[in-house]
Amino acid sequence: MAELQAFAPGIYPRSEELVQATRDLDRGRTTPEAVEGQVERDGAACLTAQRDAGLDLVADGMLRWQDHFRPLLEAADGLETGALTRFLDTNTFYRAPKATSATPKLGTPLGERYLSPQPGPRLVTLPSPFALAKGTGVTPRTMAEGVLKPQLDALDAELVVLVEPFLAREESAALDDLAEALEALGGGPRLAIWFTFGDARSLLEQGVADLPVEGIGVDFYATHLSDVPDGFSKLLLAGVVDVRSSLLEEPRELAAFAQRLGERAERIALVPNGDLQYVSVPIAREKLARLGKARTATTEAAA
Amino acid sequence: MTDLRFLTHEIGSLAKPPWLVKTSQGRELEESDIEHARTWGEKVGVEGHEELVESLRSGDADPDDVARWSSRYCVRMQESAGVEVIWDGEQLRSEMYAWAIEHSTGFEPRGTIRSFDNKYYSKSAAVGPVGLREPFHNEEFSFLQSVARADLKIPITGAYTLAIWSYDEHHTPKEGRLGAGYGRSQEIEARRELTLDIARNLIRPNLEALIGLGATWIQIDEPGASTEADELDLFVESFNVSVEGLDCMFSTHLCFSDYDLFFPAIEGMGGCRQYCVGFANYDRRELGTSGADRPGYEVISKFRDLPYDPILGLGVLDIHTDFVEPPELVRDRILYAVDVFGDPARIHVCPDCGLRTRSWDVAYEKLRAMVEGTRLAEEALNRAHASA
Repeated sequence: MAELQAFAPGIYPRSEELVQATRDLDRGRTTPEAVEGQVERDGAACLTAQRDAGLDLVADGMLRWQDHFRPLLEAADGLETGALTRFLDTNTFYRAPKATSATPKLGTPLGERYLSPQPGPRLVTLPSPFALAKGTGVTPRTMAEGVLKPQLDALDAELVVLVEPFLAREESAALDDLAEALEALGGGPRLAIWFTFGDARSLLEQGVADLPVEGIGVDFYATHLSDVPDGFSKLLLAGVVDVRSSLLEEPRELAAFAQRLGERAERIALVPNGDLQYVSVPIAREKLARLGKARTATTEAAA
Repeated sequence: MTDLRFLTHEIGSLAKPPWLVKTSQGRELEESDIEHARTWGEKVGVEGHEELVESLRSGDADPDDVARWSSRYCVRMQESAGVEVIWDGEQLRSEMYAWAIEHSTGFEPRGTIRSFDNKYYSKSAAVGPVGLREPFHNEEFSFLQSVARADLKIPITGAYTLAIWSYDEHHTPKEGRLGAGYGRSQEIEARRELTLDIARNLIRPNLEALIGLGATWIQIDEPGASTEADELDLFVESFNVSVEGLDCMFSTHLCFSDYDLFFPAIEGMGGCRQYCVGFANYDRRELGTSGADRPGYEVISKFRDLPYDPILGLGVLDIHTDFVEPPELVRDRILYAVDVFGDPARIHVCPDCGLRTRSWDVAYEKLRAMVEGTRLAEEALNRAHASA
């Protein structure tokens, strides 16, 4: 039986209370301090949801991140926020990265405001160099060296997941640029690259397992199980919880799938197929619980 | 020749005033809220606004009455700004998605999702066949017919946007998708079933009801239209199913998208007589009428070349910023569009999108600048014609 974990990278949804607090802030009806207090409470609830689900790594839910890029764009020299852009097939938008320099630099890495310490093995999510570079005219390698590497060097985390939402959806996706950029990120925390919201078949065929990272994340609501090559040697972040759907997954179906995956991969982490922020908090909490139940059920079945 | 004129129109939403929000929520009003109602009533000439002020002050204002007052205020605000075709900024609706879903059958709420920054929307799931509880714009339209002096254009959320902004628990298999290569073709087919269900059973009956009440221009809002590049044919099909054979001017509103994606799919959307599209969000703020000066408008030639010669509702106001576009900037955006189109009759002027994320102060100033800039463009073109 494969070694099995479960965790939840990415942005966690905001509670109805935080939604109201931030709306009130925008309308001058509350104070930034009151919103901060609610962010803290949401963060605690996010942590509780992960603990209750029995997840192996703990993430802070990125509750202060407006999207996967903004804090880095605001902190780095040579980067700024561009046009409001739709995020894939969601009704959620992000400010697209825009480069004002050919060599953007992150002088001061993000601190605890955006990367909170956690009581337990910490999971951190950052954008992949390819995603950060997309549309800027700057190469992924330059983004990796100038922006992501300084951030990684300042981090203490069990695993850093680099979210890559675009590459699996590109018609002629090629791994070369990404591989070159990831080379520049070695020597720090363990890294995984998480291909969200897309069919990873082409990437798997191109040998994604050879990328210089510890783990590879695949959306199994878009990718066929048979596309995973036998003997997959990397940690496989298996996207088995569908964050684009409000339907709740059956733990027994997830567990059965994990067992089948175990025939192809030696190390598996059950994860969502994207950020949980695309469902509301009650649904996210329930999906996390089912992720944990599936992990437990799989382990018990193997025992 | 007759002097050239461009039609100006609003897109849809405006912010709800504090006295409406608080009254609806049962919260106590502050003096500043009542002052807001008084000053705006005077500023844009709302007849009888003293009655509203008095009822707000007395603390026993009926929320539905207050919403109708708010509707009157928004109508007068736009008329006062000089906008020629208007709506009430959706003061009588909850929100463009939620309003439609609330009046439908076959949906259940699934909580609040962030759209961006501190903006959110309520998301529902389709859980069964879609149906219409009752035509949900009739009362609003009849009221506005009684209030407005300007012409009316009714915005109604389109079928594709309602579908793609919803979860689909009805057409999506509950099990068996995981690792099965469920794939895009099945996803698209599921979405097609939901979208056409909405078009036939929700949108079309609403359109028929509005036309029966005398509506002459209905704007089908499709901000979600470009969400999936490989579903654009479905967006087009749903528009056609919604409007086919109905006697009215139908337009559609598209915003915050890669507009190149719409081509060539919308070549098949001949029932759409006007596209109002947001461009200012992508444009520079410096003056100038060349292509290099107006990068946000690069794509408009594709709308020009559509085989059925639709009008372009040219978005000239960036609704995501408090920056009030100088009239001269509005003018230059219009002049560039006219230069590309070659036919001024195919240009209308509008904001990029609804202005509900802006304060009334900012929205009003933006609309006034839009109208003034439009007049400047007309003057420039009329002068050029006269001297030619």
